Amino acid sequence: MSSMELAQTIMKTLYKYFDEVAVIVTERESTMVKLWNTEPSITQTWLETSIKLRLAKSSRLWILQFDVKDPLYIIKNAEEIVKLADKVEESEIYAPLPEPGKCSPISEAYDPKIVSYMDDPSEIVEELINAAMTHPVDRVAGTLTLTKTNLTLVNSKGFQCEEKSTGVEAYARVFKGEFSGHWAYGSTRLSINNIKEVGERAGYYAALTSDKADVTPGTYNVIISPLVAGNLFNYVASMASAFSVMTGFSVFAKYKPGEKIGAESLSLYDRPRDSTLPFTRSFDDEGVETYDKPIIENGVVRNILHNSGTANKMRVKTTGNAGWIRPTPWNLEINGGELRESELISEVRNGLLVLNNWYTRLQNYYEGYFSTVSRDVVLVIKNGELTGHGGRIRIATSFPNLMNNVIGATRERFDISWWEVRTPTRAPFILIQNIPVTKPEV
Amino acid sequence: MALDESLLLKAIDRGLDLGAKYVEARVQDDYGYSVTVRNDKLIGVSQGRSRGVGIRVIVDGSLGFASTDNLTLEGVIKAVEKAVVRAKALSGIKRKPVEFSDERVGKARYSVLERKPLMDLELEEAVQILKDTYRSSSGALKQAKMPSMFNSLRVSIQEKKIVTSEGGIVESRVPRLYVSIGSTLFYQSKTLQRIREFGGSGGRELVDEWSISKAVVDELLNLEKILVEGKTPPEEKVDIVLGSEVVGLIVHESAGHPMEADRILGREAAQAGESYVKPDMIGKFKVGNKYATVIEDPTIPGSYGFYLYDDECVRARPRYLYKEGVLHEPLHNRQTAKLFGSNSNGASRAMNYESEPIIRMSNTYLAPGSMKFEELIEDIHLGIYVKSYMEWNIDDARWNQRYVGLESYIIRNGELAEPVLNPVLEFTTGWFYGNIVGVDRNLEFYPGTCGKGEPSQGVPVWFGGPNVRLNKMNVGVLK
Repeated sequence: MSSMELAQTIMKTLYKYFDEVAVIVTERESTMVKLWNTEPSITQTWLETSIKLRLAKSSRLWILQFDVKDPLYIIKNAEEIVKLADKVEESEIYAPLPEPGKCSPISEAYDPKIVSYMDDPSEIVEELINAAMTHPVDRVAGTLTLTKTNLTLVNSKGFQCEEKSTGVEAYARVFKGEFSGHWAYGSTRLSINNIKEVGERAGYYAALTSDKADVTPGTYNVIISPLVAGNLFNYVASMASAFSVMTGFSVFAKYKPGEKIGAESLSLYDRPRDSTLPFTRSFDDEGVETYDKPIIENGVVRNILHNSGTANKMRVKTTGNAGWIRPTPWNLEINGGELRESELISEVRNGLLVLNNWYTRLQNYYEGYFSTVSRDVVLVIKNGELTGHGGRIRIATSFPNLMNNVIGATRERFDISWWEVRTPTRAPFILIQNIPVTKPEV
Repeated sequence: MALDESLLLKAIDRGLDLGAKYVEARVQDDYGYSVTVRNDKLIGVSQGRSRGVGIRVIVDGSLGFASTDNLTLEGVIKAVEKAVVRAKALSGIKRKPVEFSDERVGKARYSVLERKPLMDLELEEAVQILKDTYRSSSGALKQAKMPSMFNSLRVSIQEKKIVTSEGGIVESRVPRLYVSIGSTLFYQSKTLQRIREFGGSGGRELVDEWSISKAVVDELLNLEKILVEGKTPPEEKVDIVLGSEVVGLIVHESAGHPMEADRILGREAAQAGESYVKPDMIGKFKVGNKYATVIEDPTIPGSYGFYLYDDECVRARPRYLYKEGVLHEPLHNRQTAKLFGSNSNGASRAMNYESEPIIRMSNTYLAPGSMKFEELIEDIHLGIYVKSYMEWNIDDARWNQRYVGLESYIIRNGELAEPVLNPVLEFTTGWFYGNIVGVDRNLEFYPGTCGKGEPSQGVPVWFGGPNVRLNKMNVGVLK
């Protein structure tokens, strides 16, 4: 039974019991090679068919998810819910499924070359390792992941569509002594040159200098790399989900559309329609055609991300970002500036270049107070020159303060996807002034 | 769990036929439901089932993993073949062959006792618990407003059957309940947010034991006072006393994670990071003083991280990570045990059937002492007591860490005094464990979901400890 037949069978059977039925069938095969100490630690393969159902009856809403490819089992479980219908109240965010959009899949998102490497990706893995080892480094860690996906959505409003895509994600962390460099890349299409660039850049930063420079806690002008920008703006975009706003755990509960939250030079876009970015989608989970949109444009909040339910609650239109319960961004893009990386560094008199970060956590989502810890090199900049490694530091501020203090960015941008950037993000190096930097004094 | 064991045995036979030296087949079934409520309105109900088989093989010195939700013989055999073929393909660029330590693997079956079956907790009752918590809380607040409270409750059952080519057969059933309460308080232009969690293994009786509504109301009344009256912390160095919740998180982050042997060896280098601990430091390096004893124990009844055998069929037992200040015993699976010339101590866990088993914590805590809380603080002239937190982080070597307090008070002349707003504590692992001057006897545990691996696996854990008194330090403020 094909995915479309499976989805239709489930939908038609359950439509007898529910006012609305939507079925998503995701067939996915992935292979991942994980590296440690310049060799594979494990090769992983996933063969999965996941089935998700949105069932509605008298404004009651159920979401079901099964990794069980047995339509009879799924139908039996869903039928059990009918018995519960009277025991559960209406959902606060129920809205009728919207009128179906046009089915026009993004064909450029499928690259057969990725599929051809899935049984034996060793050649690509070696390219990644060898590119890193062109620098005088000690060891390489990282991953290469290749994925093919077939997504099918059928709903009782009449929408039915299938979309095929592929994905490649590569990231490397390269060590030289106590220092390390990191880089990452994600796309729907395989480019060996971009894979090589991951190893090459990670190796470059690891071996850039062996000098150390002292960083004392204080306020600095900080250049954040595309890796750091990707991580931080993943948090910003996640808080732009209307669901986050409704719960109060969002800076956009305080800063509304039309209000200023960042510098005029800063814009952040949701990009479902860029066929090269890994999470490209032509339709959302409600069958609404997706479209590119600004979340923040020229420093001003432009869009909260909606599905039909949250849009109905807030009396606006869906933005094509469903998530049946929680609207989500697809891919992110941060606008670039005018400078090259070297020119951006030369702009800084006394500052830091933070290559990578992790563990971003918030004290208060409404105000946006957060801190994040550097990993890999933090390079101290004096009078436009990189002078040495500053050790592990922490950026500790608020998102509005961070975004309001953006003063520059590189022209060149990079498509970042890795363990700490789960919504793929196209980002430049960004220069931010007067950012509090801390580290333990005991 | 309706899966014929012979299917797993056939998978193992097929893997061995294809040249694998080791094959492990695990069928895992995770199912349950969750409800989410905003204030007193239901958002939605989710139900799900994740059931499939995960296969792990060692072939030509290369480790391979494959999973499938196609539980026909054909589907499972295909997964075995993919695991073998793809592991073999990468064996050409292996430097050292993967090997496992010799272990006595278990043949066992166990399940967590439910005094009242967890699945008897019906949807409508679950929704009512969350609504009652909101209504009680909003009605109790006197000065602060609470425009939104976001609550969720999740009932989950985890069933596993693991068979290995070395004769291990372990079957288990662990029911778990988890509740999360997210509150936002407003007072004039100030705000405060708290996520309170409850989690454990067991049955429906957990709802009664936790007294969720009362616990949340009691805490929110304290947080209201923090928001309304809280002052910035003193600028001079002060004595620090940390509550169990903060201590538990600290030992999870700075004793549990750095003592994971795979992290010590670099297997998580590009993801969850490495460790300040190096292999030759075990048994020798002094990280702290006599109070620095951290225990990791999967066998605690009712715990959120409970298990009796790990996912390599090795029997679980308590492990002393730090013992009286010395690095004592890392968490091992069979691969790291071999590399350390040691034995596995049963730390291998997989989140679901799609996940490779990797080294994980279970329930981690600092050893308590014998004194009362009042005795711990009685001779403090000026200090700060940090009972709970929101923001925290630690670097990927597990050395440089930060916690921002939520419910916090000044300690003045041996007693808790006025509230303090957002005190910031930053210290190193070495400073924390070397500057403990006292621990009380009040051992408490808190639930969490610990992330590690690629793809990231979130597994349920407890972390805990007593109240802990530290030497004087400077306390920062949010900027």
